[in-house]
Amino acid sequence: MNNHDFELQGQILNQIPTTVIAVDKDFKIIYANIAAAKMTGVKSQEDLLGKHCYDFSHNKQCRTPECCVFKAMEDGKMHSTRGQTSFSDGSIVYIEQSSAALIDNNGNIIGGLEFVLDVTQRVLDEERLAEQSYTIREMSTPTIKLWEGVLLLPVVGVIDSDRAQHMMDSMLNKILETSSRVIILDIHGVASVDTAVANHIIKITKATRLMGCECLLSGISASVAQTIVQLGIEMGSIKTTSTLSDALEEALAIINLEVISKK
Amino acid sequence: MKYRKVTDNENIISFKKLDTRTFKLLQPIDNEAVVIMTRKLAKNAGFQLTDEVMIATAASELATNILRYAQQGEITVTIIQINDTHQTGIEIYAQDQGPGIRDLQMAMKDNYSTSKMSLGMGLPSVERIMDEFEIESELGHGTRVLTRKWC
Repeated sequence: MNNHDFELQGQILNQIPTTVIAVDKDFKIIYANIAAAKMTGVKSQEDLLGKHCYDFSHNKQCRTPECCVFKAMEDGKMHSTRGQTSFSDGSIVYIEQSSAALIDNNGNIIGGLEFVLDVTQRVLDEERLAEQSYTIREMSTPTIKLWEGVLLLPVVGVIDSDRAQHMMDSMLNKILETSSRVIILDIHGVASVDTAVANHIIKITKATRLMGCECLLSGISASVAQTIVQLGIEMGSIKTTSTLSDALEEALAIINLEVISKK
Repeated sequence: MKYRKVTDNENIISFKKLDTRTFKLLQPIDNEAVVIMTRKLAKNAGFQLTDEVMIATAASELATNILRYAQQGEITVTIIQINDTHQTGIEIYAQDQGPGIRDLQMAMKDNYSTSKMSLGMGLPSVERIMDEFEIESELGHGTRVLTRKWC
């Protein structure tokens, strides 16, 4: 390989917008590219050479057996980690770090390579997304008082065990609060009724019944009805109706009310 | 260990894949995307509304199993078409690196579950809904389910 190739390789490494660092077995830096200098906040790459990598950036795994460079040097495999790292200039960023062993021509491990990505924006985006889905979840289990003694819980989307628990809490609290005799669980907007969802519904109806409140299941479409039959789930003990208005009529009948049209 | 059920379509040798989606399952909310997209793909494949809902339910069962027992895994839903007859169908492939199933024969029976929290109807339901069903599981290495339904 001639000098020109070496120069080009150096340029490539320096222009990669990813931090690349090579350390020896004592974690002393033997190579760092320009991105590494930028990320750690030092003036030039040379300022990093010969110093310990943990003096410039610090995370929880530093100088423990959990350090991914350490692990890479131990077993020669690639390891990656993600987490918060603080730099010597005081800045804190989320990084994704991958490490591999540095191997010489004889196949001996002589150090480690680290490449580091700044994923702060991605982590913040993910956090926001998680918050949003939590908000949607909170909003999507409202127990509404429909009439004196009649409650309604419309369910939209997917019921998983967290949400089922949330629904159950919300319903039981509201039943206690309003001393309702009937609660309508409308599943018209549920994306799919699989065995897990059916199981949650069965449990919810059992719990409400224990509190002296009849649970009516409404919004069962033709296809959902057939699916439940195909699944082989026994839902015979639950009162079900296809539309919400049928359920309301049933609910009013239970509390001895009747809707009469004006003469 | 392997369990297999293939119906009349056993002779089908060649079919092609038309449209395919892969879903990574990491948290319970990921189930939603599987259900919604499977319904859409089933509709595009030409299934009636009832079959559409049933296929989505089968996908949901498999997704629930992955999230419940393996914590994470992957589901691939594909529109397939037989080369000769142009008959279309849906293929669902679910895989995980979870703990595996100890007794497949039992797992395929109604009302059997290793979890107290569940009805134990999931896998047999998927088998009932779909035309072809194949499950392979190795303890400690995970489970793979391949299943198809034809229009």
